[in-house]
Amino acid sequence: MYRSRRSQLIGIAYLAPALVFVLAFTAYPLVQMVWMSFHNWSLITPAKYVGLDNYKRAFADDQFWVSFAFTLKYTAIITPVLIVGGYLLALLTSESSRLRRITRTTVFIPVVIGLGVSSLLWYWLFSADFGLVNKALADLGLISKPVLWLGVDAGRSNLAITASVVWKVIGFGMILFVGAIQAIPREITEASLVDGASYRQRVTRVILPLTLRTVLLVTLVSVIGSLLAFDQFYIMTAGQPQNETATSVFYVYLNSFPYLKLGYGAALSMILALTILVFTVVQLLLTRRSHA
Amino acid sequence: MRSRLRWPVMLAAATLMLAACSQGTDEPPSTAAQAPAATTSCASNGELTMWERSGGNKQMVDLLVAAWNEKNPNCKIKLTYIPHTEMVGKIAQGIASGEVPDLMGMDLIYAPQFEKAQQLVDLTDRIGTWPELKTASKGHMTVATFENRLYGVPLYADVSALFYNKDLFKKAGLDPDKPPTSLAELRAYADKITALGGDTKGYYLPGNCAGCNIFTVGPLMWASGAKIEAAGPGDEPLVGDGVKQVLQFTREMVEAGNVPEGARSENGETFHLQFGSGKVGMMGTGNFNITLARQQNPKMDFGIALLPGMTPNSSASFIGGDLVVVPKGSQRVDDAVNVMKFLLSDEVQVEVYAKALNLTTRTDMVDNKYFQAEPLVQDVAKALDVGRTPYTLTFFEQINSPQGPWLKMLQRAYYSDDNLDTVITDAKAAMKSIANE
Repeated sequence: MYRSRRSQLIGIAYLAPALVFVLAFTAYPLVQMVWMSFHNWSLITPAKYVGLDNYKRAFADDQFWVSFAFTLKYTAIITPVLIVGGYLLALLTSESSRLRRITRTTVFIPVVIGLGVSSLLWYWLFSADFGLVNKALADLGLISKPVLWLGVDAGRSNLAITASVVWKVIGFGMILFVGAIQAIPREITEASLVDGASYRQRVTRVILPLTLRTVLLVTLVSVIGSLLAFDQFYIMTAGQPQNETATSVFYVYLNSFPYLKLGYGAALSMILALTILVFTVVQLLLTRRSHA
Repeated sequence: MRSRLRWPVMLAAATLMLAACSQGTDEPPSTAAQAPAATTSCASNGELTMWERSGGNKQMVDLLVAAWNEKNPNCKIKLTYIPHTEMVGKIAQGIASGEVPDLMGMDLIYAPQFEKAQQLVDLTDRIGTWPELKTASKGHMTVATFENRLYGVPLYADVSALFYNKDLFKKAGLDPDKPPTSLAELRAYADKITALGGDTKGYYLPGNCAGCNIFTVGPLMWASGAKIEAAGPGDEPLVGDGVKQVLQFTREMVEAGNVPEGARSENGETFHLQFGSGKVGMMGTGNFNITLARQQNPKMDFGIALLPGMTPNSSASFIGGDLVVVPKGSQRVDDAVNVMKFLLSDEVQVEVYAKALNLTTRTDMVDNKYFQAEPLVQDVAKALDVGRTPYTLTFFEQINSPQGPWLKMLQRAYYSDDNLDTVITDAKAAMKSIANE
């Protein structure tokens, strides 16, 4: 009994730093957010308990659901591009040669740039008056007058932002895929070659099945990142036109900070967090199944 | 099972107690009755902390702080800039956590909500009788006052006016010394300038920027007799024929091709660069554009007039800028009051504000040697007499937000064929709903 109690204490002592960290930076904010979601609180006035009012209001708030639907649409568009594009790049660059290493590095460089910085960069590149994108298209004779990429047409804005984010993050998936592909035992590849498998057959029958867990991991990261999209839309369109490109997090931010409705913002955050939790659980289940 | 549940419950309870304990605010150390008479120097020694938003007139604020620091080396101001879009949240967080600066610059339109929440120090008994305040910018003083109590003084003023390119006026056969005095003239002049061809356009409307539009289109409505925002619960927004008349005017300007197509995506980032490009004949913008346009396009000859309304010679302007206020919890209220006295002093008004060709915050200081040598500043200073500042507790939601009803209404007017009565009715309902919350 004494030994096991002592072992427990030692175990807790080892866990303590991580436990304190999780309690301070995850559990406490989460509990605070739940508490806030049951109150009306502007930070500058005392909080007032309102029960489930903020949740009722959220379910009746058209703009929140418009933002939510747009976020899902954005996620549905960008995720396949990132996965398929990243995987194709990984297939092209997974072998070791100087040119491939340079290509990998070049594609990966934007990953280390902050999303805010890259969004600002692309905001100026897409600028109707001063942007290089329009200038390049005009010089190539593809357009006769400047294209208004951002904030005028929701579809076009989404396309432009998707392009900028793909440039920024596709290297992340590519590097993970390269690692997974390079981890495939050489004997398996050689066996498939001896069996006369074509390159296409090797990719679809050998490489893809053996890297499926990484594909699901990258998908999970991409889906969560896209559902939490904020910086790029805040900087490049500010939700325009007519609030059609406002993402869920952007709407949460607007309510929480500029509008100073922290309680309502917290309720919206809770709904969003639960949605992401559902996505995560489904994907984790799929991951387990693929592993089994 | 029971013990497993106990820990999370205790944790939640502790969290709630901690949160509840963090709501207190500190009182300022001295009351108005004990306060010494204000001077333009230190009341005590030690660094003063000040916050200011980064998107405002940084150049002016830097000069003012440098002037104070030079005169008062024992109580220098340590200035921290907060990103403009973060300012309201940052102040609110500072107030909630008790970590506030000794004084701060605040975008004047947000002052009423902080005054109502009693988060600013009431300065009425300390500064209310100052003679300088009789001529202080009336827009600033309106929003610095809540229920007859005074909470701040002007830090700097930005006013909107109609800038016009005299070179393009001459090319279009217009008299460069006769700017438009009504919306009908504005339209006729814009048509002639656009007719010059190329990428020259007669007018500019920022299609995706709520703040730019209240600054430059709002005055067109005020000059036409309209009222825009709902001041509070039950108040009626968008009142008067001027609203529809101005929306009709702007729609026709866009339809006639008088506005550059790129303006539709203007979210404020390049707004200040448009007039200096030399390709826009007329544009509502602010006094800050005088220096900027000269730097951008030194050879361009331009003039400044007041923003007109429907009736000839009617005019209005948006008085923007910042207030200096003292947040509750400030430990240096006496020094903060002295900084205010310093800012309003004759010497600073002339030798700092006017010398840098910025507007003075007192109208009786407009007639000075620096402005006399610079007629454009004198022209733009006239806007202080006809200007106003919206007064509402929900300015951001109603007007300034990119998601707000004001911008939505303007975009529908500029770029759709929607019936204008419906457009106004929808915006009115949304504004009332926000104000009634």
